[in-house]
Amino acid sequence: MTCKMGTSMWQSKGHVVRSAIKAATAVVCVMLAACAAPTKERVVSKSHWAFAPVQETQPPSVKHTTWPRNPIDAFILSKLEANGLKPAAPAEKRALLRRATYDLTGLPPTPAEADAFVADTAPDAFAKAVDRLLDSPRYGERWGRYWLDVARYSDTKGYVYAREERFWVHAHTYRDWVIRALNDDLPYDRFLLLQLAADQAAPKDLNAQAAMGFLTVGRRFLGVTHDIIDDRIDAVTRGMLGLTVSCARCHNHKYDPIPTADYYSLYGVFHNSVEKMISLEPAPARTETHSAFEKEYLAKAKTFADTFATRRDETSARARGRAGDYLAAQLNLSGFPEEGFDQILTDKDLIPAFVRRWRDFISQRERGHDPVFGLWHHLRRVPAGEVERAAAAYLSQSNSATQKPNLLVRAAFITPPKDMAEVAARYGRLFAEVEAQWRDVLDAARKKGNPLPTGLASPDVEEIRRILYTPDSPCVVPDTGIANNESFFTTDQIEALWKLQGEVDRVLIRTPGATPHALVLHDGPAEPQPRVFLRGKPASKGDEAPRQFLSALAGPQRKPFSQGSGRLELAHAIASADNPLTARVAVNRIWRHHFGAGLVRTPSDLGTRAEPPSHPELLDWLARGFVTGGWSQKKLHRLIMNSAAYQQSGTENPAALAMDPENRLLATFPRQRMDYEALRDSMLFVAGELDEQRGGRPVGMHTAPFSTRRSIYGLVDRQFVPGVLRVFDFANPDMHCPQRSATTVPQQSLFLLNSPFVAARARALAARVERDSPGNVESRVRALYSAIYLREPTAQQLAAGMEFLAAPDSNLQPVAKTVPPEWQYGYGEVNATTGRVTGFKALPYFSGEAWQGSAVYPDDKLGWAKLTGTSGHPGNILAHAAVRRWVAPADVAVSITGTVKHEAQPGDGIRAFIISSGQGVLGQWKLHHTQAEAAVAKVELRKGDTLDFVVDIGGTLSHDDFQWTPSIQTLAPLAAQIWNARADFGGPPTATQPWLRPLEAYAHVLLLANEFAFVD
Amino acid sequence: MNLPLWTDTMNDSGRKPHPVTAPSRREFLTRCGMGMGAVGLAGLLNAAPSANPLTPRAPHYFGRAKRVIHFFLNGGPSQVDTFDPKPALATYAGKPLPFANLRTERKTGAAFPTPFKFAQHGASGLPISDIFPKLSAHADELAVIRSMHAEVPNHEPSLMLMNCGDSVQSRPSVGSWVTYGLGAENQNLPGFIVLCPGGFPIRDSDNWTAGFLPGAFQGTMVDSQHTDLDKLIENIRSRHATPGGQQRQLELLRRLNADHQRARATDDRLEARIQSFELAYRMQMEAADAFDITREPAHIRAMYGEGVHARQTLIARRLVERGARFVQLWHGAGQPWDNHDNIEGAHRKLARDLDQPVAALLADLKQRGMLESTLIIFGGEFGRTPTVELKNDGQSRLGRDHNHYGFSVWLAGGGVKGGMAYGATDEFGFKAEENPVSVHDLHATILHLLGFDHERFTYRYAGRDFRLTDVSGRVVKEIIA
Repeated sequence: MTCKMGTSMWQSKGHVVRSAIKAATAVVCVMLAACAAPTKERVVSKSHWAFAPVQETQPPSVKHTTWPRNPIDAFILSKLEANGLKPAAPAEKRALLRRATYDLTGLPPTPAEADAFVADTAPDAFAKAVDRLLDSPRYGERWGRYWLDVARYSDTKGYVYAREERFWVHAHTYRDWVIRALNDDLPYDRFLLLQLAADQAAPKDLNAQAAMGFLTVGRRFLGVTHDIIDDRIDAVTRGMLGLTVSCARCHNHKYDPIPTADYYSLYGVFHNSVEKMISLEPAPARTETHSAFEKEYLAKAKTFADTFATRRDETSARARGRAGDYLAAQLNLSGFPEEGFDQILTDKDLIPAFVRRWRDFISQRERGHDPVFGLWHHLRRVPAGEVERAAAAYLSQSNSATQKPNLLVRAAFITPPKDMAEVAARYGRLFAEVEAQWRDVLDAARKKGNPLPTGLASPDVEEIRRILYTPDSPCVVPDTGIANNESFFTTDQIEALWKLQGEVDRVLIRTPGATPHALVLHDGPAEPQPRVFLRGKPASKGDEAPRQFLSALAGPQRKPFSQGSGRLELAHAIASADNPLTARVAVNRIWRHHFGAGLVRTPSDLGTRAEPPSHPELLDWLARGFVTGGWSQKKLHRLIMNSAAYQQSGTENPAALAMDPENRLLATFPRQRMDYEALRDSMLFVAGELDEQRGGRPVGMHTAPFSTRRSIYGLVDRQFVPGVLRVFDFANPDMHCPQRSATTVPQQSLFLLNSPFVAARARALAARVERDSPGNVESRVRALYSAIYLREPTAQQLAAGMEFLAAPDSNLQPVAKTVPPEWQYGYGEVNATTGRVTGFKALPYFSGEAWQGSAVYPDDKLGWAKLTGTSGHPGNILAHAAVRRWVAPADVAVSITGTVKHEAQPGDGIRAFIISSGQGVLGQWKLHHTQAEAAVAKVELRKGDTLDFVVDIGGTLSHDDFQWTPSIQTLAPLAAQIWNARADFGGPPTATQPWLRPLEAYAHVLLLANEFAFVD
Repeated sequence: MNLPLWTDTMNDSGRKPHPVTAPSRREFLTRCGMGMGAVGLAGLLNAAPSANPLTPRAPHYFGRAKRVIHFFLNGGPSQVDTFDPKPALATYAGKPLPFANLRTERKTGAAFPTPFKFAQHGASGLPISDIFPKLSAHADELAVIRSMHAEVPNHEPSLMLMNCGDSVQSRPSVGSWVTYGLGAENQNLPGFIVLCPGGFPIRDSDNWTAGFLPGAFQGTMVDSQHTDLDKLIENIRSRHATPGGQQRQLELLRRLNADHQRARATDDRLEARIQSFELAYRMQMEAADAFDITREPAHIRAMYGEGVHARQTLIARRLVERGARFVQLWHGAGQPWDNHDNIEGAHRKLARDLDQPVAALLADLKQRGMLESTLIIFGGEFGRTPTVELKNDGQSRLGRDHNHYGFSVWLAGGGVKGGMAYGATDEFGFKAEENPVSVHDLHATILHLLGFDHERFTYRYAGRDFRLTDVSGRVVKEIIA
C-alpha cells in the first residue's frame, strides 16, 4: 500500500495526499526503499560520495508532523529541527502563483490568473496551477534556455578568420528541438541519449537528429580539431556528468579520479565522429518559394561538391607523387607542426596533415613483421651508424615464416642503404615505380577500350599499389566534410573551398523558406586507437587510450567500446540509471532553478572539490525517484513545487539568518532576482506586447525597431555578444556555463533608465491603461499596479502615484530644438562647367542622428549619402554629393570658417567645395587622409542666395567619410550672428516628441522597481 | 563573503604602504591562498551580491602601479625598426643570414636592414629609431624588453596570448583580471575600457573578454572615432527623459523601493540594486565629462596634438585620472601594424600617429604626479622578421613577415625602471636569446607591479584554480625600480 503511494508521487500528476504523508512519513520511506529494485554492485571510487551509487535513502522522521506535504519536506524539516529552526509560514497566494509562474514559464501570471487562483480555495488549487503551467508551451521556452547555457548555444561559430561563413546553418533547429523535448517531457535519459548519438539511437527519426546540435554548436576554434573536441568533452562531462574531465587534457586530474588516458578515451570517440549537414525534411513541400530555393541550393551544393571532389583527387594524386618526400619527412617530424594555422602552404610544400597521416599509417604497421614497413621499423630502431649492417642482416634473415618482406621491398634493398635518408628515398622510388606501372596499366586498358582493372596482378606489386590508393591510404584525402579534412589542402584551396561551402550555407541561412537543416555527427571511417597527448601536446604521443568510458564510473570491468566511434556506447553509459552522477546532476540543476541554489552549489562539478550537498539524502532520494519515475522532469517539478518547502513564504527569519546566513537549510524561501530573459520578456508581457510566435530563425533583439519575441529566440552571436547581455550576466556562449553570475552593476540600471527598449514598454503600458481606464488618474494607477505587480497599491503608493501624475510635466520643459530655417541637408552634383550645384534635393530621412536616404543605411538609392552636425559621407556617385546648404536670410556679408577633414588612409579620398549660388566656387579641396582650412574671409550674398558645403567621392567610392563643421558669421555693419553646423543641427520640426509623458514616466518607474525585478 | 577585506584604494599616494589593517590583510592573504575566486569573489557574487563587483579592493601586497594604460600596436610592430637596433643587418643587406630563416607564416628572404636611423637618447642613451622623435625625449622613462617571445607566428592566437594568456581557450583578458583583482576606483565609470578607432581589431571582443569571470569585468569597447557620447557608451544618455524628469522618476523609485525593502531588510541584493540606480545616474554625468576632451585647456590639447590618436590618448588620461583601472588603446580596426609590404612608409606613418600623443601622455602624467602609479605598456602581439618578405615569385615585398621568436615591448611608469633595455635578440633581431621573456613573464610582471603574486591570483572555474599566467611566468624583477 504505502509502497505504491511512494511511487505514485512520481507517476501521478503529483497531487500528493497530504494526510497519508502526515500519518506515515517514516513508514513510507522504509517501504519505498524496500520496493526499489536491487542495484548492481559496482566498484568505483567510493571515497567520494558522488561516485558512489545513488543511495536508497528514506525521508527522516520529524517532530512537526503536520508541516510536510511530501517526503521532500521531511528531509528539509529534519535538518531545520536538528538546528532548532522552524520553517516559514506558507506564502501568500498571489506571491506563490507569481513564483510558480516565473519558475515554470519565465513570465508573470496575468491579473486574471492571479484573481482566479486566489478565488480557488480547493486543496489542490496550487497543484492544478502547476499542472496548467507545465502544460504551457512557455515552459519549454524557459527551461530550454537553461539547457542552452549548459550547451553553450550560439547561432554563430566564433572567430572564423575570413574563411568560412560565420553563422552556423540553422543552429536554431537544435534550440527548437530542446524546447520541444522539454515541452513533451521527453524522458531525460532519452534527452541526453539523442543529443549525443541520435544518428545511431534514432536513425530514422529525422527531427531527433537536430538534438546533436548539443555537440556541434560550440565554437569552431578556427577548425582546430583538438580544441573542438576538447570543447565537446567539456560540455558533455560538465553538462551531463558534473565532472570536469577537461582538466585531464594535459595531466591527470588534480583532484578527481580522472586520468589523462580517460580524457583521450573520450577524445577518440569524438575524433572518430565526423560532422555532416543534413536536411530535417525527407521530401520538402513543393511550394514555389521552395522550389526556387531548392534550385539555387542544389546548384550551389553541386558546384561545391564537384570542386571538392576534384580538389581531393588532385591533392591525393600530388601526395602520391611525393610519397618519398613524405617518408623522408618522417625522419624530421618536429619540422612539421600539428594542426593550426601557423603557415601558409602552397602546392610546393609538403602538407603537414599528410605527414601526420603517413606517420599514423606507418605506426599502425609497427607490430609484427609488416611485409612493406617491417624493414622500415626495424631500421628506425637501430642506431644511426648501424643502418647499413642492420638492413643487410634483416633481409638475410627474413625468409622465416614470420618475416616475409614484400618482394619489391626486398629488391629495392638488395644493396644495403647507408642511412635512413636513403631508406626513405628507396621506398619513395619504389612507390613511384608502382605508381607508374599502375598508370601504364590503366592507360593501356583505356586505349584498348577494355574495362579498367581494379588492381595489379602480382600480389606484391598490388600490396604496394593499395598503400597508395585505398581509402585509408596515407596519400588519400579522407572522404569527410571540409570541416574535417581541410588541413590536407593548400591555404589557397582551403579558402576557395570554404568560400564555396559558405555560399551553400548562406542559401540555407538566408532563404526564408529553406528546408531546416542540422549539423550532426556520424561515425567516421575506422581509426587507430587514440593515444594520449603528453602534456596536451598533439606532437608528443603517449600510450594508447582505447575508446571507452571513464574509469571512475565504469569500474574495473570496463571494456573498450566496440561499435564504430563508440559514441552510442558512451551515450548509453551516461544516460544510464546506473551512472551515479547523471541523475544527481539533473535533479540538482532543476532544484537550483527553483530554490536559487543547488543542493550542491556547483551544478557542473560534483567532484571531490565540490562542497558536500546541503541535504545529501534528499539529493539521492530525488535522484532515485527521478530515475524510477521514468526520468520525467515535469514530475520532478511537480514534486518539488508541491512541497511545503517550496510553498513557504520568503519572510525574514532573524534566528535562521543568524545561524544559516546563506539559507542552505531553507528556513525561508529564497527570493530570486529575474535574469535578463525573464526581465525583458516580462516587460513585454505586462505591456501586452509579447509576440508568442514560437521557434524558427533567430531574431535580432538589440536594435530598433525592437523585436517583441521572447528572448530565447534572440540571435546569440558569440563573437559579438551585445553589451546589454554582458552586463546582465548572460551566459558566455563560448563555453559551457554551469551557472550565471549574478552581479549588480550600474550599466544594468543605465539600460533600464535610458534604453529606448524599456521606454517603449513604458509607453505601451501607458497606452494600454489609458485605453482601459479613460480619464481617471486613480484608476490608471490601480491598473498599472495590477498589470505590473498583480496587486492593489497601498494608500500611500496610490497617493504617491497620483501626486507624480499631477505635478507639472518636467519632461516638457525643454523645447525640442528646431533647426534654424537657413540650413538644409541634401544632395546634388557639382557642375564642373558652371561651378554650381545642380539637382539639389533634400535628404529624405532623419535617423535621430543623421540625415540620410532612408531608415536603411546605406540606402538603396542614395547609398552612403549622410550628413550629421559635424560629419558626413557623400553618396556613391558624383551626382549624389552630400550638400549642406545655407540660405541667406537677407542681403548680407558673411565669413566662413571651418576645417574639412578626411581621415581614412585607404581609398582615394574626397573632393570638398564651398559654392555660392551667386558667385560659384569659393573654395575647393581634394583631400585624402588629410585636412584643410575651409575658410572664406568674406562673401556678399543676396537674400535667398545659397552657400553649399559639398563633398563628393572624388574618384572612387571607398572610405569617403569626412568631418566638416562649417560656421557662418555675419560681418559688420550688422550685429554678428553665427550659424554653426553642429550647434544648429537637428531633425525635422515635425519629429515625434520623444519625451515620456507623465503616465509613461510613471509606468517606467514601476518597471524599474525592485518589486518587479525580484520574485518572492 | 566578508566585506572588510575590500579596502578603499582611492588613496593614490603611490608611496605609502597600503592602508590595510593587519588582521584583514592576513585574512585576505589566507583567502587568496585558496584562490580568490573560490572564496573571495565567488562569495561576493553569489552569497552577498550587495557588493558591486567593481568595488575597489586591495591586492596581495603593495603595488606601485594602481592602473594601467596599454597601447596595443595591433598587427605586430617591427622590433628592428623601432626599439631593437641591429647594425649587422646592414652588413648583410640583401644577403642571406648566416643561418636558415626561422619558420614564420610566409616565406622570407635576405637580411633587410631598417630604413630608419637609430640614435641614443636621454641620460641612459637608450637607442630608439627616428620614427619616434618625440617619444625619444622620454627614453629615460622606458624599460624596453627586447627579448619578448610568443608561441606562433599568427595574429589570432598571438592576440589571445598577449591579451588573455592563452592562445586557444577563451580566458579572461589581462584587463578583466586586473579589474577583478582591484575593482574600479570610480564606480561611475566602467573599470576596464577599450578604445579602438574605426571598429574592431581581429578577434573582436575576444581580446577583452571576461572569459569565465563575470561579465562586469569585460572591457567596455568604445569606438573612439566617434565624438558623440551616445555612440561612445551605450545607454549613457536618456532620449526620453530630461535630467529633471529623470530625477523625479528616481525620487519616486526610491520611495517604491524603500516600501518594498521594509519587509525584506536583510536582503542585500535589494539595496545593491537601489544603489546601482544612483550610480547609474551619476555615471551619466561622469562619463560625459570623462570623454569630453574639449574641457581640457588648449595647451594640453595642443600637447597631445591632432587626430584620433591624440583624442583617444587624452581620453585615456582623463579616464585613469577619474579612476578607471585599465585602459587599452588599439591602433585601429583590423591590424594596422601588419606591414608585410612597404614597411618604411607604413611604419613611419603609424609611428607618427602615436609619437606625439604617447610622449604627451608620459609628460602629462608626470606633471600630474601620476606616472609613478600608472603603468604604461606599449607593444603588439609579436614582432616582425629581420628578413624581407617574399612574394610567391620570390620578389621582395619591402616588408616583413610576422615573428613570434623575438620582439620588443616597453613599459614605463608604475614602478618600472626607466632608461633601460632588458634581454636581447640574436645579432639580427630574429630570436630572443639573452634573458628571454615570455608573454606569461610579462603578465606576471604586470601583476606584480599592481601588487599581485601571479601564482596566487586565481579564480576557481571548471574544477581548477585558473591563473592569468597558467602554469608559468617569472616576474622580470630586473626592470622594476
